[in-house]
Amino acid sequence: MKLAGEAPGAATMTMSPATAVGIGLRQPHYREAFERRPALGFVEVHSENFFHEGGASLHALERAREAWPVSLHGVGLSLASADALAEGHLARLKRLVDRIEPALVSEHLCWGGVGGVHFNDLLPFPYHRESLALLVERVERVQETLGRRILVENLSAYVEFRDSEMTETAFLAELARRSGCGLLLDVNNLYVNGANFGFDAQARLAELPGDAIGEIHLAGHHVGEDGLVDTHDARVAPAVWALYAAACRRFGPRPTLIEWDAQLPALDVLLDEAAQAAATARDATARERSDG
Amino acid sequence: MADLLAVQAAFAAALRDRAAAPDATSCLAGDPALAARRLGIYRANVAATSARALGAAYPVARQIVGDEFFDALARAYLAAHPSTSGDLHEFGAAFAEFVAAFPHTRSLPYLPDLARLEWAVHRAYGAADATPLDPAALAAVPPGRQAVLRFLLAGGTAVVQSAHPVARLWEIHQPGFDGAFDVDWSVAQSALVAREGLRVTVTALAAGEAAFLSAVLAGVGFGDAAASALAVQPDADLGGLLGRILSAGLLAGLSFEDS
Repeated sequence: MKLAGEAPGAATMTMSPATAVGIGLRQPHYREAFERRPALGFVEVHSENFFHEGGASLHALERAREAWPVSLHGVGLSLASADALAEGHLARLKRLVDRIEPALVSEHLCWGGVGGVHFNDLLPFPYHRESLALLVERVERVQETLGRRILVENLSAYVEFRDSEMTETAFLAELARRSGCGLLLDVNNLYVNGANFGFDAQARLAELPGDAIGEIHLAGHHVGEDGLVDTHDARVAPAVWALYAAACRRFGPRPTLIEWDAQLPALDVLLDEAAQAAATARDATARERSDG
Repeated sequence: MADLLAVQAAFAAALRDRAAAPDATSCLAGDPALAARRLGIYRANVAATSARALGAAYPVARQIVGDEFFDALARAYLAAHPSTSGDLHEFGAAFAEFVAAFPHTRSLPYLPDLARLEWAVHRAYGAADATPLDPAALAAVPPGRQAVLRFLLAGGTAVVQSAHPVARLWEIHQPGFDGAFDVDWSVAQSALVAREGLRVTVTALAAGEAAFLSAVLAGVGFGDAAASALAVQPDADLGGLLGRILSAGLLAGLSFEDS
């Protein structure tokens, strides 16, 4: 199976169809998923979990690749770090991309470590001209190395920086324009940040270039004492479904993924969430067409 | 405007040490008290992520010391040996030497060797897939060349030498183990870690076998490797060991010391 945009150097990266829905495929679900082969548009895994040279994990990913298009979602490249780009990490990502020929490759708009120490977390940073220039250069470098376009994802965050000169969505729009990268819109992250920093998440959608959005993420969050926390351990919240519907109305359907990483439920719960995503996108875009 | 490095360095310091939080919160927007508490969310995430990664690499050590103690151990390890890679599979490489020096694990003298064994298992899991050598290639080696013969073993193969019964400890803590939960603590036991196909196996080795395979893994030729084995165990059954290595598919190649 060859998907549009798989070829190195392809100018666009689109997953066909745009109405595809998928789930994050995690190790405890491998056996059942391979036996049942649910009808999914794609599955997504964390790239770093397959940086091995060989062995059972890579073997499982190759089995998944036979069943569904695969999206590789990186959590450790640390694009926004003030340290030099981790060349070894990028080389291992390239080896994996060459081996799996994924439909999508994505990274986060974040840093994970500095001064040689890594926190293995997705950390925010100030959005200003200096950081934008760094990100443009990094994303270009990664795309050149991988020989393909990548998607960059908006972050969930608990703090904002005094030095920021623009919103994260405006930063991403400019990054996409200057580097040619695509965007991965995490609707839950945008909602979480709207609640944590007191902005209107739906209004921020208007800052994003719809053409650049190659994937949407949905996940559950936790309501904590000091704000919302992006936990990926629950069903998608009603307000996040509403924001997703708004995004679908605005941008049209996009390949959409249910992310669930902690307190993993039965596979059927993920499939049920994926079905709800498909239905929500269908309703939202049908209404948009009939309204328009 | 503080440059990106200064902001990240302040943020990083606050993640490693709560006392450094004021420098970081001075870079943050909004109510400083709330920002400081929210920095704590990141600090807690980092601790939880690293404890989870360490527990995934050292599941037997975790079972032996218990979840609560292991989490405390993980926090102390993180402070002493922070992650240096965006790939968490690399986190924990120094855990064996850490527990060997850690005052609160001195009562578990076997723990460092067990940790070395678990790290070898962890590495073997993702080692390159090997193609086993055709046994005919071994049979074809002229007798006069056997002494300088070097064995190349499959990726992930490792020997952990120990004065404690580490292979047995590992075995009885595996998921699904349903044998007798007993350990003969008087037994010194070295262990062979190997990737057989996609599976990682751990088997106990006699002293001579461990000496032989350690020498082979260090690139020593058959003649000298066998001599080092027989020096520690005159009755070592190296023929039997080679047969097991071959049938497990662990022999990946041959070369000669002088060529």
